[in-house]
Amino acid sequence: MKKILLLVLALIPVLTFAQGFQVNLEGQKQIGMGHTGTGLVQDGASVFFNPGAVVLLPENYIQAGISPLLFKSDFNPSGTNAQYQSLNKVATPFNFYAVWGPKSSWWKLGLGVYTPFGGLTDWGKSWQGKYVLESLDLKAIYFQPTLSIKINKVLSIGGGFVYNRGSVDLTQAIPLGNSSGQDGQAELKGTGKGYGWNAGLYIKPSSKISIGLTHRSKVSTTINNSDAIFTVPASVQGGFPQPNTFTATIPLPATNSLGIGFYPTDRWTVALDVNLINWNVYKVLAFDYKTNTSSLQDTYSQRNYKNAVSLRAGAQYKANTKTALRFGGGYASTAVRDGYVTPEAPDANRVYVTAGLGYKLAKGLDVDVSFEYEHLMSRTQTNIQSQLSGTFETNVYIPGISLAYHW
Amino acid sequence: MKTLKHFIYIIVGLVGLVACKPEINTPKPSHGTANFSRFIAVGNSLTAGYADGGLYLQGQLNSYPAIMAKQMLSVGGGTFTQPLFSTAQSNGSGYLQLTGFSSTGSPITAPVTSNLAVRGILPVPGFGNVTLYSKYSGDINNYGVPGIKLLNITYAPYGNLNGFYERLLPGDSPTNTTPYLAFITAKPFTFFSNWLGNNDALAYATSGGAGDVLTDPTTFAALNTLLINTLTQGGAKGVVATIPDVTSIPYFNTVTEGAILAAVQKANPSVTGLYINALVSGTTYAPRVATPTDLIVLTFPTSKIGQPVSTPYGTLPYGLTPYTPIDNQYVLDANEVTLTENAVTAFNSSITSTANAKGLAVFDAYTFLKNIKSNGLVTNGISLNSNYISGGLFSLDGVHLTPRGYAIVANEFIKAINSKYGSNIPLADVAAYGGIKFP
Repeated sequence: MKKILLLVLALIPVLTFAQGFQVNLEGQKQIGMGHTGTGLVQDGASVFFNPGAVVLLPENYIQAGISPLLFKSDFNPSGTNAQYQSLNKVATPFNFYAVWGPKSSWWKLGLGVYTPFGGLTDWGKSWQGKYVLESLDLKAIYFQPTLSIKINKVLSIGGGFVYNRGSVDLTQAIPLGNSSGQDGQAELKGTGKGYGWNAGLYIKPSSKISIGLTHRSKVSTTINNSDAIFTVPASVQGGFPQPNTFTATIPLPATNSLGIGFYPTDRWTVALDVNLINWNVYKVLAFDYKTNTSSLQDTYSQRNYKNAVSLRAGAQYKANTKTALRFGGGYASTAVRDGYVTPEAPDANRVYVTAGLGYKLAKGLDVDVSFEYEHLMSRTQTNIQSQLSGTFETNVYIPGISLAYHW
Repeated sequence: MKTLKHFIYIIVGLVGLVACKPEINTPKPSHGTANFSRFIAVGNSLTAGYADGGLYLQGQLNSYPAIMAKQMLSVGGGTFTQPLFSTAQSNGSGYLQLTGFSSTGSPITAPVTSNLAVRGILPVPGFGNVTLYSKYSGDINNYGVPGIKLLNITYAPYGNLNGFYERLLPGDSPTNTTPYLAFITAKPFTFFSNWLGNNDALAYATSGGAGDVLTDPTTFAALNTLLINTLTQGGAKGVVATIPDVTSIPYFNTVTEGAILAAVQKANPSVTGLYINALVSGTTYAPRVATPTDLIVLTFPTSKIGQPVSTPYGTLPYGLTPYTPIDNQYVLDANEVTLTENAVTAFNSSITSTANAKGLAVFDAYTFLKNIKSNGLVTNGISLNSNYISGGLFSLDGVHLTPRGYAIVANEFIKAINSKYGSNIPLADVAAYGGIKFP
């Protein structure tokens, strides 16, 4: 009998996905106009914005766009002058749409592939919150086949089925230093899937106004049997058995939208959108490790998100037959309550402005470019779970370009 | 096409223009009503940066006064010099290293014995052997001396009896006659921290109440007043800390009566209790069955339990009969705990009242560590507590702190200073300081 010690390494890594990682970059024309489009018929992006409007597209469409996104966050820990900046990493939200149907028929088919949720944040391995998060790369890619039907001159409807392929790669430091003082590392990496649906209603009571109403369902995405990689000093590796896997479910929330389009003149289109995002489904985040030890327990952390609202407005001016100029902006309320803000994507109320340009390159071929600048208000918080305390402020810069071919 | 080009230029321009990072405005650094231009730290092993059972370079570099001084730089703090061991002798007095865990999860430690700064061992008549270390002769801001009690600060020959103090003095033991109080106040300073007094209770407690005595609270109060009066007489401001409850450290809470008994019972279910030699009153000790309120020290060699001991009543197993109780030096029994706690309470009331009378900032380490003992501490995503090794705060000796623990203490000192003097010394990044090193 050597020394008798009650030794339990109670250093359970609590890994977190926080934040409304909603990415509102689903079509370059729409981004240019403040990401409005629920109440408009613009192009193939209606598959996402309003399946009910797809049938009203005058032509068949095939289009693709990309919106490289630079998320720049700054963190000032409470009681210090230190500033930690997230590293420059460019995420690549994209959109692809195809719409086909007989000319002037009462139905059309559509397919959308887009990235409505995701996040790419990298704070590096030496910042003050490294034990909460070093980096996160989260992607959700929705595949959405869609059918749109014209009921009568005024009303059309549409709906689609959504398959989500999600992936996550999250890294965090573990406070177990090796003989040279280097931290342990946790990495959770894997893919998962989820299902949902999307439906919309489009009403055009006159040539001066159009109204859209949509619901995009919750997509509960389960990351199954994915790798849980723990690199810790050899003497404590027993507490973090390798290989190991984890399972976690993230509910990607439903969104309800109401959009209105106005057409004051031939050249002008004005659009307003209101979205209600049902983030309150995100109550807890649970991680279930396949092999548990006294050091590695399943975790169950409160998220308690609240529903969020976004208000958007935008306009398009047709300068000539080839060129359209667009601008817009909006406001989105945060889903994250005080005490739950985390560095994954330090959420806060946000405002944004957008601009865009559409140009007809050739018959049936459009190029659209867009730019969005988003500012997340500075928010001073102490996270209830991690006690990471400080002020976050974030700017997001999103240029984008798309090509659309229609016939 | 021209419009498109223009538009792309505009966008590229916009990206270039705004792709600057966000910047949060922070308050302008201010020293408030204090002056940090020459900061000195007064104290014992905790102040010196002692850790893992020794004083060594890495620990010195992570001492809480060094961390505080670094944070003070932005509010007018000056150079902060510590009596560091040289790189060649970076292991100083030697210290403990974690080498692994046994199959039952018990930590295995080994002493580091290379690159020491030991100069020699000097037998002092009537006192014992004093280990002497390589001399340090430069400027000093950190006056932390491992082992020193408040009781010792006016004792002129003390520089001959404590090797860590002797190394700071010009003369060799046994020729020194400079009392600690005179030594630390010889050069003017503008701000001080004082965390003396722990050893006036701790030395008694860690020896199981057998190898040392508690300082008399009246003597403590008088010396504390003298110390604070002397430190403040030149107009310096400062911060003092209370003495932690010695029973809130892992040294007394890791090898427990319950754990030993459970292990013994595994092998021999008929055993119902451990015997200790416990304080009855005054200096009278008598054997009795141990209870969970008797604290067994971390260094108790548990392998002794059950070993045959020859007694007038025959050969009996160690620790398991009233004739073979666990030696006094390994146990701070319930009555000794009470004596220690009473002393600490009295010491702290002197410390607080003297500081308040002089308008000094106070870091209540007693309450702070007691609170961590009961509730743990979560900061920057790190979950810390007072457990041995796994808790992350205390180093391998179970008494002193890890660099991370010292950073937390430095921040508490800084908070106390800021709130007293209206300064805004920035807090240190606790996550940047390490804990126990695992092989």
